[in-house]
Amino acid sequence: MAEDVVDVLIVGAGASGAAAAWSLAETRMRVVCLEQGGWMDPARYPSTGRDWEMRQAREFQTSPNLRRRAADYPVKDADSPIAILNFNAVGGSTILYSAHFPRFHPSDFRVRSLDAVADDWPIDYAVLEPFFAANDRNVGVAGLAGDPAIPAHQPPLPPVPLGRMGETMGRGFNKLGWHWWPSDSAIATRSYNGRGQCLNLGPCNAGCAQGAKSSADITYWPMAQRAGVELRTHCRVREITVGERDMATGVVYFDADGVERHQRAEVVVLACNGVGTPRLLLNAASARFPDGLANRSGLVGRNLMLHPWGHVAGVFDEPLESHFGPQGCCILSQEFYETEPQRDFVRGYNMQITRGGAPVATARAGIAGGAIPWGAGHHEAFERIYDRTIHLGICCEDLPEERNRVTLDAELTDSHGIPAPKIDYVLSENSRRMLDHGLEKGAEAMRAAGAREVHPTPSPIRMAGWHLLGTARMGTDPERSVVNEWGRSHDVRNLFIVDGSVFVTSGGVNPTTTIQAVALYIADSMKKNLANLFD
Amino acid sequence: MGREDLIGTDHPLTERQRRTLAVALDLIVPASEDGRKPSAAEVDVLGYIRSAEPETLSALGEQLDRLDAEAKARHGSDFAPLAAASRQTLVDDIRAREPRFLGTLALQTVACYYQDDRVLQALGMEARPPFPKGFDVPAGDLSLLDPVLQRGKLYREA
Repeated sequence: MAEDVVDVLIVGAGASGAAAAWSLAETRMRVVCLEQGGWMDPARYPSTGRDWEMRQAREFQTSPNLRRRAADYPVKDADSPIAILNFNAVGGSTILYSAHFPRFHPSDFRVRSLDAVADDWPIDYAVLEPFFAANDRNVGVAGLAGDPAIPAHQPPLPPVPLGRMGETMGRGFNKLGWHWWPSDSAIATRSYNGRGQCLNLGPCNAGCAQGAKSSADITYWPMAQRAGVELRTHCRVREITVGERDMATGVVYFDADGVERHQRAEVVVLACNGVGTPRLLLNAASARFPDGLANRSGLVGRNLMLHPWGHVAGVFDEPLESHFGPQGCCILSQEFYETEPQRDFVRGYNMQITRGGAPVATARAGIAGGAIPWGAGHHEAFERIYDRTIHLGICCEDLPEERNRVTLDAELTDSHGIPAPKIDYVLSENSRRMLDHGLEKGAEAMRAAGAREVHPTPSPIRMAGWHLLGTARMGTDPERSVVNEWGRSHDVRNLFIVDGSVFVTSGGVNPTTTIQAVALYIADSMKKNLANLFD
Repeated sequence: MGREDLIGTDHPLTERQRRTLAVALDLIVPASEDGRKPSAAEVDVLGYIRSAEPETLSALGEQLDRLDAEAKARHGSDFAPLAAASRQTLVDDIRAREPRFLGTLALQTVACYYQDDRVLQALGMEARPPFPKGFDVPAGDLSLLDPVLQRGKLYREA
């Protein structure tokens, strides 16, 4: 019997793989996706139980090295000040993301032209705009039209509630004359496509039991599967196989029973994020590709960008009910997003206002940091902080540097014996200055809003490496990029990459909506070029 | 070795260690002065540790033994019977030398304590999980955005 050959084989069922699978299903080609994790059961998410805070802290650890679920692979990140965070399941890291969903700005695609740093993208905001809009519709984005910091667009759902804390910060930003706006949020604030309306449960970042948060397992995957895409779970890919004329022939993977299999394919699409994708390519080194597959540029794994993250907490006198509502979604300020020549850094950052801690988180942070004492004074100190705290995150644009990279660790492997990724990352001077500026301005915003106490956290925050970008960058020059302007490998002409690896620069916002827009754009380009896909 | 030093089949700590634990918990989170919040000694911290972090029990037992040993050396008595001021001084002295002493227990204590029904109700919350009832959060006053709108376009064309 002839070996089974599928038309398109996607590796990874997270944000980008799901979007690409849905888009490609329209072709009626046979599309199969391999995902190393399984389906999550929303009925078992922490918010369904009384012990939700500690279940979140234990079972839904953000670092795979600490979480150690069967689907996780280890990441050697001790040499980086920022730890690598992810989640491995159908839906990928969107299972745990906060759903803060701001788009990249037009300037983010033109940093060389505008600011004489890094490189321009081979595509721009205008090219991606229809895909941003499609993604907004597909996942159900809540927001308020009219934000003057971003080109006009109309989110399909009303914004998440500001609550008293959002109003408090809004008044503070107004006092300073700074920009602020309700965040675009991938949260169904009304019933949407069969999904329930947000109930303000709080811990979106431990999975949404209501199904209101737009994780890819409940947005794109049901649509993709209805359209005929086959999704195989608990299947971990070991390597991409290559045949004549340097064309990919499929992948070798371990199935749910641990049996090694070879799945042949006409086209292979990688959607494993900015660490998983270079890991797979580097693990596929061969005589024809001694430095890793699709790596004749030498750039696979290089230019890793992580969005150095700053944090400021403000403690207020009055109760703000601050821990109710979607944890990571409230308002943002992009007052310092665009480059200003008088600053001592280029590019900029987003300020993300997030909700306060629930009781256990408040108490544990207070005990660990010394703000809440043991014994006498414990209750008074707790009540001065609890429900009166607002958090401000600073998401700094990270510029690409070749020294920041993903390689393979010489010893560490996953449970299938596949070499694990190793991270080398050094915070740049530009990022250091940007972080310092952000911490100062964040504290200023808190004081303007009336905070009694302001606590900047030493930054970059280590446990904040969610945004994994740049390690297989796109470009028109095969010497300076890994994939072309529509995601196809320069070296292996039936190999595509649709995840954040292809980002040329990182922008200064949470990247998921831009990752999904890029994935939809690449899938659309594949469809438009079907007749000469490999030319 | 007396009975109080034996670990029972149903308890991971000895009777002496449990007595010491109870007063240590009260040192970490005492009852509130208004009586609305219980002492941590009144919530089942040991049960929580056994269920959630059993791997820490052995180290906990050793630290409780140290409290008793220090109390014996200084006062000729176990830790639990000491006057409150003496207990506090003893723990403060050890923590001044070893800041992490009982640190894990303190984090476990507040994790258990702030999930307890009585404590949540004293904080004005219903003792229930977030799902399925959820919470009401006011939409907020969007007219606060008027000054932002008046500034006009803020992004750069590219």
